[in-house]
Amino acid sequence: MTETTMHLTTDEIELWAQGLLPAARAMHLADCSLCRVEADRERKVILELVQLPHFAPKAGFADRVMAQVKIPTPSGDWTA
Amino acid sequence: MSAASDQQIVAWAKQGHDAAFRELVRRYERPVFSLLYRMVRDRALAEDLAQETFIKVLNGIKSYRPEFKFSSWIFKIANNAAIDHLRRKSIDTLSLDGSPSAETPEQQRATSLQLGDRAESPLAEVESRELGTAIERAIARLRPEYRSCILLRHVEGYSYEEIAETLDLPLGTVKTYIHRARNELRGYLEDRRD
Repeated sequence: MTETTMHLTTDEIELWAQGLLPAARAMHLADCSLCRVEADRERKVILELVQLPHFAPKAGFADRVMAQVKIPTPSGDWTA
Repeated sequence: MSAASDQQIVAWAKQGHDAAFRELVRRYERPVFSLLYRMVRDRALAEDLAQETFIKVLNGIKSYRPEFKFSSWIFKIANNAAIDHLRRKSIDTLSLDGSPSAETPEQQRATSLQLGDRAESPLAEVESRELGTAIERAIARLRPEYRSCILLRHVEGYSYEEIAETLDLPLGTVKTYIHRARNELRGYLEDRRD
């Protein structure tokens, strides 16, 4: 087994989905239909996950938090 | 202030500058709230837990150790809050399709979470819109431990090492959880497409 014949590991498939797979391993992927099918399935899920949005809490969240935070007495010049 | 590093902002907060506290909330309110919302799938509860997280972090800012990433610290506290809540409520998975231990279709129906159960309220409509997509429903079916790992990895973009540090888990466990989570997600999503 060499770098160009071994099947891709799950970690390598993730690297491929991020465009970070080393060239020798990418060569294997180009030639191996098993790995290509597996990698395509994995990439679909990863793409769906990375596109998930952040949600915002209700307006005024920061004020509600800050109302319960005890701020120490100021010291030092933070604008410096 | 928005260009400063988290470490710098925390240093200002430790000196007692109100604006620094507000900047930390501004930076992390959406990521922290999003993680909690996807963990508990209830907007009002996620907001309570997010508030609890920020109050704990900001009131304990003096105990923050700068050798760790601030984001790891706040996500650790948020995740613990979510897991504690889920344990208290004995919800292993917030499955929309019923409890994984249900043995009959009747049990499954009886234990299923229906977003439409509270469909009369505007909040439930928002939740249904936000968390009703196939991928969100698939995430909801994962074990909570898998869910936090996969969200930190692919939504927040954390490395495996950072997730291990944040969740106090061995690196190998994090890798296993993420691989299993992706596998399960693939299964759920492909089942829907078939």
